[in-house]
Amino acid sequence: MKIDKFWLSVLVILIAGFAFTKLADNEFYFFTTYVVLQGLIMAVAWNILGGFTGYVNFGSAGFFAVGVYTTVALNKAFGLPLPVLLLAAGVICGLLGLAAGYLTLRLKGVYFAIATLATALVLETIVNNWKFVGGAAGTYVLQPKGSFIFDNYIELLFMLMLVLAVAATAISRYLSSSRIGQGLAAIRDDEVAAECMGVPTLRLKLISTTAMGALMGIAGAPFPFFVTFVDPVSAFALVIAVNAIAMPMIGGTAVWYGPVIGALLLGAIQETATVTISSELNLLIVGVMLVLFITLAPKGIVGLIQDYKKKKGANNG
Amino acid sequence: MIKKVMSPLRIIAILAMVAVVAFAVPAQSKNLKIGFSMALTGPLAGAGKAALIAMQIWKDDINKKGGLLGRKVDFVFYDDATSPSKVPGIYSKLLNVDKVDLVVSSYGTNEISPAMPIIMRKGLVFMSLFGLAVNDKFNYDRYFQIMPAGPIPKDDWSRGFFNLAMAQSPKPKSIALLAEDADFALSAVAGARRHAKRLGMKIVYDKTFPFGSPDVTSVMRAIKAANADLVYVGSYPGGSVGLVKAANELGLKAKMFGGGMVGLQFAGIQKNLGPMLNGIVNYDFWVPEPTLNFPGVKEFLKKYQAGAKGKGVDPFGHYLPPYAYAYLQVLGDAVTAVGSLDQKKIAAYIHKTTFTTVVGPVKFAKNGEWAKTRTLQVQFRDVKANNIGQFNKPGKRIVLYPSSVKSGSIKYPYKQ
Repeated sequence: MKIDKFWLSVLVILIAGFAFTKLADNEFYFFTTYVVLQGLIMAVAWNILGGFTGYVNFGSAGFFAVGVYTTVALNKAFGLPLPVLLLAAGVICGLLGLAAGYLTLRLKGVYFAIATLATALVLETIVNNWKFVGGAAGTYVLQPKGSFIFDNYIELLFMLMLVLAVAATAISRYLSSSRIGQGLAAIRDDEVAAECMGVPTLRLKLISTTAMGALMGIAGAPFPFFVTFVDPVSAFALVIAVNAIAMPMIGGTAVWYGPVIGALLLGAIQETATVTISSELNLLIVGVMLVLFITLAPKGIVGLIQDYKKKKGANNG
Repeated sequence: MIKKVMSPLRIIAILAMVAVVAFAVPAQSKNLKIGFSMALTGPLAGAGKAALIAMQIWKDDINKKGGLLGRKVDFVFYDDATSPSKVPGIYSKLLNVDKVDLVVSSYGTNEISPAMPIIMRKGLVFMSLFGLAVNDKFNYDRYFQIMPAGPIPKDDWSRGFFNLAMAQSPKPKSIALLAEDADFALSAVAGARRHAKRLGMKIVYDKTFPFGSPDVTSVMRAIKAANADLVYVGSYPGGSVGLVKAANELGLKAKMFGGGMVGLQFAGIQKNLGPMLNGIVNYDFWVPEPTLNFPGVKEFLKKYQAGAKGKGVDPFGHYLPPYAYAYLQVLGDAVTAVGSLDQKKIAAYIHKTTFTTVVGPVKFAKNGEWAKTRTLQVQFRDVKANNIGQFNKPGKRIVLYPSSVKSGSIKYPYKQ
């Protein structure tokens, strides 16, 4: 029986992650990895619509924040366990993605991008005025007592984020390599031509907005337990939206593993900069890297490596 | 195509390993290390930088006296960029990688709260800097907050404003409440609302306005039309400046105006507004009045003002810096008295002791807030135009409340 390399790697990553929680006694790694993995899920989610389909979403922070506030609201109202909160955030943000997609996908290019930005602003205004979840004043969310089989709650959150990141990557890989992915690529290359060839463009675009929304919501769902105080400023933070775009652009948008590479690279640099130089440097790093990659390597790291290999192959041949 | 290039899984594995190796463990030193995150960039950077100057003055002072427990004191700090999501990682680095001996908080509620789960899990004493009612939820018995809000922070904040109002004759009967739509301002006005209801006042206006609104003239116009005896405002620097200017332009006729306006404590804004400030009654924490001349405060401010030059922070440092110095004073005194870094003993000592600090005597309540509120209500008087130096001297912000540090009587009503 032949085992797919990808799934074998997934198994190894999950076992290694679990072993890490049992062997490492330095919480710092769990905290920083959590932030990197959160960025990874956001980047993978953004790429499903932005990379595969070619529709640029500037409203990522809005979907993330809806995931955050789904947890806040349901935790406050019913005290639901984290897995249920994750599921709820996924469903609600998936539906939000579907609705937003249905309403905005008639728009193209810059108009679609502006519409997504506006969606995030509308959502932020709603949260600002929703007193039950603390409104603009914010609210505290205490970590539940007990941490399953882990020594503390951050280990649980780390492991959960690892599982979610792997799952998000697997979904993205499936979407890119299946018929859906081919259809999305056709839309990205020429939507009118794709439509003429019988590609169900609206249905495929709605699938990608729904998947994007659901994954971003799931990325946001554990966030309240990570920070314990949530307000709209931190949930709708600019850096969330910027990273969600920058990571795939730097890694490469055309393939499923581009955002993963971009997220690991950019996330690691940002977290290192935070504790070595300055946190504020993070946005500068993102900006500079984004400018460099867009101008010098628009296909990202993956594109650079592919070009290098091609050149090497041509020289050898 | 994928198989022809470097395997994606291999690239991802290499990057993951780089990420783990990137965080090297620094060597441990003999010095006593105090760790913290601070808002050195981002929206709260102005205050965070000023706090850091004050903290470094304390460090220099304590090291001149031989340090703590015979060890020289060092700081290990990181910029949290006013971003709550950075705080948990920073404190875990401080505790697990840098192996600091003591920790104190960053500045502000949003930056304090995310550190609490880690601090609580480690059982550490946590001195915090200007967090509003953070411990209401956590109930952590080793948490101590230096802002003098009082044991019921959200209500004590505006207690003085209402005590003053109710002491006037005739007593005010109606009130307008206005809050800028963000954390502190909403909490301050919520407290004011409870006081107004408790005192049987008629609330004739009760609204919020969006955070950072550039033009608040229409808001002030509506408040003026409501014709309330008192106008209590919770706002941030931008909103505060706009509202004071609008109140002057429109000729607000309230008997008392002010309350919880952030920004009116800063010298730059005071100079900008000048005589428009006259008559406003607003909260403050320290002003250069003789009644607040606590031991060491003048020496501290002299050092701060020298250190603040050219740093782009508040030049006088009346508002936050003395408290940033004081929260380290409390911690340092407790460590010295206990004679060890035993967190349980340090917490017990802080609970039972009244500390002598540059912000006066400090005694903590069971919940870690000040045992008694000392949120000042000050009234701007005789402010002249274009003179920043006047705010570094007595007579411009008269302390009306509390009575223990009162330096003058209220001029009532707000505009004659």
